[in-house]
Amino acid sequence: MKTSILAFGLVAATALTSPAHADKLDDIIASGTLRCAVVLDFPPMGSRDENNEPIGFDVDYCNDLAKALGVTAEIVETPFPERIPALMSGRVDVGVASTSDTLERAKTVGMTVPYFAFEMAVTANEKSGIKSFEDMKGKVVGATAGTYEAIALENQVKAWGEGEFRPYQTQADVFLALSQGQLDATVSTSTVAQSNVKGGKFPGISVVDKAPFDIDYVALFTNREEYGFINYLNLFVNQQVRTGRYAELYEKWVGGEAPSLAVNGVYR
Amino acid sequence: MFNYTFHWNQALRALPQMLDGAVVTLQVAVLSMVIGVACAIALTVFRLSGSRILGGIATTWVEVARNTPALFQIYMAHFGLGNFGIHLSPYTALLVGIAFNNAGYLAENFRGALKAIPDTQARAGRSLGMTSLQAFRLIVLPQMLRVAFLPATNQMVWAILMTSLGVTVGMNTDLAGITQELNARSFRTFEFFALAAVIYYLIAKAVTLAARAFAWRMFRY
Repeated sequence: MKTSILAFGLVAATALTSPAHADKLDDIIASGTLRCAVVLDFPPMGSRDENNEPIGFDVDYCNDLAKALGVTAEIVETPFPERIPALMSGRVDVGVASTSDTLERAKTVGMTVPYFAFEMAVTANEKSGIKSFEDMKGKVVGATAGTYEAIALENQVKAWGEGEFRPYQTQADVFLALSQGQLDATVSTSTVAQSNVKGGKFPGISVVDKAPFDIDYVALFTNREEYGFINYLNLFVNQQVRTGRYAELYEKWVGGEAPSLAVNGVYR
Repeated sequence: MFNYTFHWNQALRALPQMLDGAVVTLQVAVLSMVIGVACAIALTVFRLSGSRILGGIATTWVEVARNTPALFQIYMAHFGLGNFGIHLSPYTALLVGIAFNNAGYLAENFRGALKAIPDTQARAGRSLGMTSLQAFRLIVLPQMLRVAFLPATNQMVWAILMTSLGVTVGMNTDLAGITQELNARSFRTFEFFALAAVIYYLIAKAVTLAARAFAWRMFRY
């Protein structure tokens, strides 16, 4: 009798002790919650509806991921500059935050394969007389600090050697400054440009041209060493495309044909 | 749990760029103090003038400057005025915002300092044949500035730290702006911010010590 209790106790103890190498994927499944960093002033990728609930492509994407993992999603609002501190301090598990997968950044965080791709558009104040990308030379231009297009546009202004570049902290501030005429033009993702021009909150602006920057592929990101989780995320991105969910979400939030996420002629 | 490997060499390579930013930071802070002191003296005179309109302007200024966040004041200088077609560059908006804030706090400083100078001194000046303006300028003002000097260095330190709010209006040449940009490019948040914090600390400390040395040299009786 006593030995069987002892044996049972030993077995139970072995079973309950968590394995020595629980990784992030295990932790998320065990905790039952997936915490996603999402930027909520970046429509249509992330914003808030009239009831102040988070909505957008990235929000839906996080919910899909949580569903696949069998856990509940928690959207953690994270401004662009705070994505990395949020991840490093353990406040979020994964960034679903339109993050461009630059090599420079990949030294710090682990990037998945691209889950979305942006094309860049030039939006100008109608009074500035800007009709094309080249017209921006010598003018005051701006973009959202910390984004791919901000880095590319600032480099372009430096290359032109004239004009001024101003980074603002939020997309809303960029379009406010543009609408007031403090900026002559901005480069943003075409999805954001369209939604702000149509939104009617910022009068006197229009989309005038495409920007000749490379396509901005954006990736999910998590801690660099979490290979198990990154593997899962890569497969998840693949499945989203395969099952048609990517195209469905694109149609819902952006409209039109979803851009290809594959690069011709090379493996990832 | 904080799992993050520091890449200090990458941050240190950017140090010259950040020091250039520190110069701009110091420049904005110094200019904002010069303008702030001038405005604060004007506000003090307004309050002493006995005129209800001038007194009202001074009181409103001091109330708004001291009881609203500096962030709000700087944001309003850029986007608020922008709504009325007045376009200040990020640099100017930041300078105007901080100078406005400085003037409000310094005016209160000066008011306190003024109370430390007995009325009888101005009256003695008047009885020696000075005009009231001469008595204020030659007798009261120098003493007021002396009493207010060390408290005003607090405001100088505060002005240096407030320049970091410039990022909200698109400022990208000061220390905070450059740090933000380096961070956006590389995601090495903690190295760059730690380095920026050290630079801010050193500037603030240097200013405090310099002010103390200056006061020791100038204000011996």
